[in-house]
Amino acid sequence: MQVVIIGCGRAGAALAHRLDIEGDTVGVIDVDPAARLRLPPRFRGRFVHADGMHTEALEKAGIDRTDALAALSGNDSLNVVIMRIARERYRVPHVVGRLHDTDAAPVCADLGLAMVTSVRMTVDRVHRMLRHRRLEPEHTFGNGESLLVRSGVPDYLAGRHVHELDVAGEIQVVEVTRAGHSLIPAPGSRLRNGDLVSFVVAAGSLERLRGFLGGRLT
Amino acid sequence: MRAIVAGGGLVGEQVARALQSAGHETVIVEQDRARAAELTAAGHRVVTGNACVSEVLEAAGALRADVLVACTPRDEENLLVCFVAKRHLELPRTVARVNDDTNLWLFDDAWGVDAALSWPAALAALVGEPAARVHRDLRP
Repeated sequence: MQVVIIGCGRAGAALAHRLDIEGDTVGVIDVDPAARLRLPPRFRGRFVHADGMHTEALEKAGIDRTDALAALSGNDSLNVVIMRIARERYRVPHVVGRLHDTDAAPVCADLGLAMVTSVRMTVDRVHRMLRHRRLEPEHTFGNGESLLVRSGVPDYLAGRHVHELDVAGEIQVVEVTRAGHSLIPAPGSRLRNGDLVSFVVAAGSLERLRGFLGGRLT
Repeated sequence: MRAIVAGGGLVGEQVARALQSAGHETVIVEQDRARAAELTAAGHRVVTGNACVSEVLEAAGALRADVLVACTPRDEENLLVCFVAKRHLELPRTVARVNDDTNLWLFDDAWGVDAALSWPAALAALVGEPAARVHRDLRP
């Protein structure tokens, strides 16, 4: 895959490095010539010192043949403008970008641009960790509507059927780790002390799951 | 006419003054608090906030305004401001400052820009050079 990255800050450089290791052809653009130093010494891709909004710079970085563009500069408006140039002028098939805050989010929604909003992501994640201390999500699906969480089984649940914990459309047990071995629970299997259970849970039902694990099985 | 001037730097303030002298009402939208206070002290009507946000433009009277002038020193901001003004708030007319002549091609209907002016090209034209495009006005 060929990828153009706008911005060689921490995120841009880290993504460039990872894609380079994975064998992709990477072109990175940054207005600051010193940003090149963030790339690893053995980086095989191209660094273009220029304003990413300039078509000449984009072309130097390979936008004519690229499969994807990631706009990761620290300037939200710039990311939006460049993403649109990539999509509409160069017909880049896959265009993604980052927003630091939500000011430009309505414009992106209107233009149908796929954005990762770093402040919102951080707040969601930290909020979840604060609220659900014992239930740290291992993985989130979609925009965080469903989560994968793991938890030890409290004593009072030992001996109960695994699927007593399921709530249709809200909570689903998907896996149990017992003495270091993972198993997918069959109908009728029972929980034992020391089990580590994986749940897929709707974000709005985390409180309910916490209630179960804290001693309320309603 | 009622005009909103997005960006209250030197250019924005002088555009507001020029519009006031011509008998128009102006509101300046400025993000920087200290600068906004300066402009208020100088007698301007000012709304503090990011002009790319439609609520901020509404607070500046966008739903009643006749024209928006995007004069920030950054082209990407001016494009986004014009887009929001035109597409989300249906301002009748948007005018933008082009800071970097290379970006002039972007200032068109796709971003909701009705007219754009690039200073270097305008100055060069005054000197007598055949500047290709001093400004563009997409209106007939």
